[in-house]
Amino acid sequence: MSDLYNITLEISRYDPDTNLSWIQSYQVEVGGIIRFVDVLRKINDEQDPTLAWASSCEHAQCGSCGIIVNGKPLLACELLVQDAVERFNTHAFHLRPLTIAPVLRDLVVDLEKAYNKIHETKPYLIKPTALPKEGDEYRILPETVEKYVEATRCINCFCCASACISSHRHFLGPNATMANIVRIMDPRETAKEERMEILYNENGVYRCHTSKACSFVCPKEIDVSHFLALGKEDNF
Amino acid sequence: MGEQLTIDSTLNCDVLVIGAGGAGLRAATQIGERRPGTKIIALTKVVSPQKSHTTTAQGGMAAVDPKDPEDRTIFHMFDTWKGSDCSADQNVIKTVCELGWEEVVWLERHGMHFSRTEQGRIAKRPFGGHMLNFGEMKAFRACYEADRTGKGIMDTVWNESLRFGVTFIGQCVATELLFQNGVCIGTIIFRYPEGAFLAILAKATIVATGGNTRMYLVSSNCRGNTGDGLVLALHAGLPVMDLEAVQFHPTGMVGPGILASEALRGEGAILRNKDGEPFMERYAPTAKDLAPRDLVSRSIMQEMREGRGLFHEGHKAQHVWLDLRHLPKEVHEKKLQEVCSFFKRFVGVDPEKDLCPVTPTAHYQMGGLPTNEYGEVQSDAHTIVPGLFACGEVAAASLHGLNRLGTNSLLELITMGRVTGDKVFEYLKDAKDPNNLPSDAGHIVFDQFSTYLNSQGREKYAQIRNSLRNLMQEKVGIFRAEKPLSEAIEGLKELKEMAMHIPIEVTSLKTNQNLWQIWELNNLITVSMIITQGALARKESRGGHFREDFPKRSDKFNYHTLAYMPEFGKVTFEERPIDMSIFQARGEHYELFDYIERKY
Repeated sequence: MSDLYNITLEISRYDPDTNLSWIQSYQVEVGGIIRFVDVLRKINDEQDPTLAWASSCEHAQCGSCGIIVNGKPLLACELLVQDAVERFNTHAFHLRPLTIAPVLRDLVVDLEKAYNKIHETKPYLIKPTALPKEGDEYRILPETVEKYVEATRCINCFCCASACISSHRHFLGPNATMANIVRIMDPRETAKEERMEILYNENGVYRCHTSKACSFVCPKEIDVSHFLALGKEDNF
Repeated sequence: MGEQLTIDSTLNCDVLVIGAGGAGLRAATQIGERRPGTKIIALTKVVSPQKSHTTTAQGGMAAVDPKDPEDRTIFHMFDTWKGSDCSADQNVIKTVCELGWEEVVWLERHGMHFSRTEQGRIAKRPFGGHMLNFGEMKAFRACYEADRTGKGIMDTVWNESLRFGVTFIGQCVATELLFQNGVCIGTIIFRYPEGAFLAILAKATIVATGGNTRMYLVSSNCRGNTGDGLVLALHAGLPVMDLEAVQFHPTGMVGPGILASEALRGEGAILRNKDGEPFMERYAPTAKDLAPRDLVSRSIMQEMREGRGLFHEGHKAQHVWLDLRHLPKEVHEKKLQEVCSFFKRFVGVDPEKDLCPVTPTAHYQMGGLPTNEYGEVQSDAHTIVPGLFACGEVAAASLHGLNRLGTNSLLELITMGRVTGDKVFEYLKDAKDPNNLPSDAGHIVFDQFSTYLNSQGREKYAQIRNSLRNLMQEKVGIFRAEKPLSEAIEGLKELKEMAMHIPIEVTSLKTNQNLWQIWELNNLITVSMIITQGALARKESRGGHFREDFPKRSDKFNYHTLAYMPEFGKVTFEERPIDMSIFQARGEHYELFDYIERKY
């Protein structure tokens, strides 16, 4: 556990002032149970304070630190050095920003823009069903919740959207589409017709090419493509 | 550098919410519901409100259903009073506890995915310090969404804010409050991506910026929880309250201090020392592992001090064990799905088979901007600041006094968010549009940022940040005493001086991580100074504030600490009385709301 690893990070950099992009190489010696966010911090602390990257909660619950490591979109906060060495079978890592939004600087992308796709799907209850009596909650059986509860765990880190072969063009993206599907499956939502329109419109679920890359990369291990398949079959 | 800093443009709105977490957006949705068409702007430091720190809350939200055959609101009120070590305000306790269930139902009707019982009702679980019959046995009071209750709440208020057309401005910080004739009229913000300063003028401003415990070495808080809202108010000459009351959550994962919810113990997990002994039985014979957090954290520290802790080689840190091995598979896989996966990923242990290494982690600020029971910010114990409101973790009304019970924070965010929204709704009826930007707008922030951008010297940001974290952890942590606290004050003065001499590496204002972090570091040092001075001044032990040289609670300190800091290091104190209105009303069980003995 306390073994030290010598790793090489090749990091894609971008300077918004000069509009220049380049790859910069860093050598770091770190413990195996150190997270990639800690490695980036260590680079800032000891080698290069100008390297910009993003994070917030740093334990895989907010989805702010998505990056692409050796081709795979993932959360930098939950990748431990020892696991990275094992998983990618190398001590050299190429870090790139996610590809779903403009790069602001280095590894920081403008996720605010990516979120517009989520907003388009109206993630709230558009028209809730008639309410039970005052002071009472709506009854939902656990077996009903069970059908869509996994999809509610999505944190919109956009790793799936980054891996998706369709979402860079017209597709709303796997996570945004899944946000809509949650409400289709939610027994409290009555605006099913409007939801179906969002699901099947020009940017909708049929843009999905069923590569299942979304399920493969999801840091929360949600089977995103399962929910998209339900959407394609209208089988909720 | 030498570039002239200017305000790029000015935006106008009715209500400005600084901090779009659970509390800020519950206030926004309340205003949106009651006054359709209100122009609301909500600021967030992160990219989307969904990524706020609220989303990391795990275990639950306390609320007593009036139809519950066993539990009663008065028990919850008593637990909160006793949990606070008799330092919460009883008017706030009453408001919040009585509104709790209504707000749970509000969340449920607006789409939150609560976990359910077999009958389809909202499920509940026990939590520390929440008990039936005034402390007899554990109560099932925490409504939850698996172990991601905060995410459920955050998603719901964010979604509802979208519905009401709240305008979000992300990746920005509020840097200077604006006033006109003593009325708060908005703020100046700094946007990270473009590096631009904007002024936002508003009829009402709600500060809801959350917590601050990033000055500790081991902390469960987000990277951005740096006390920004407190410093915003301090720069405006306003006081902060009870900052010495820092909550250390007993079970942070060894190393970074990632939260391992109290829900684990609510579901039956047991703390053990190196001998395997379930040691909480010795410290709290009735409540055991479900005693309040201050007590459990001190017990863990005591075990480690007396040589019954363990040493984690990878993280070079002491810890005790949390044992989840005996819990049913369904609990591991469904009810505690996220935390169990955190243990696997971050610590490399499987909670179904292995003991989990945990250590106390700085988690929550009980104190904050002093407000009355309606969320109106005070400039002293009796005066409110017109146009300025606060709710959530940044505010102290105070529901928690010097110690907060688990699941009472999500409860507070939502209820006080709503109450504050109601008050703002009333306030808007007569509020005038702020017409002009004050002529001196920007003088505080431009002065600050110019200093940072032009700073010369050899100091290193990382070194100062690390020194601060070590200093606060060692000298202003769970156990406190006069000598280390005094040393900490001197240490903080040195760090503040050093922080003025960090040469900046990136001079462009666009996405300038260096500049952003130096601004945050200064905020942390400022807040740390008040925590430390408050801790030195409170010569007693109460709730989360424990003095080894004064280990007992003292009636002399039956008040809230109001602290002002017009100049760094020069802290002056005032007292705010503790509201005893439940006790004074002489209703049923009023005698339990006196300054009672606290045993679990």
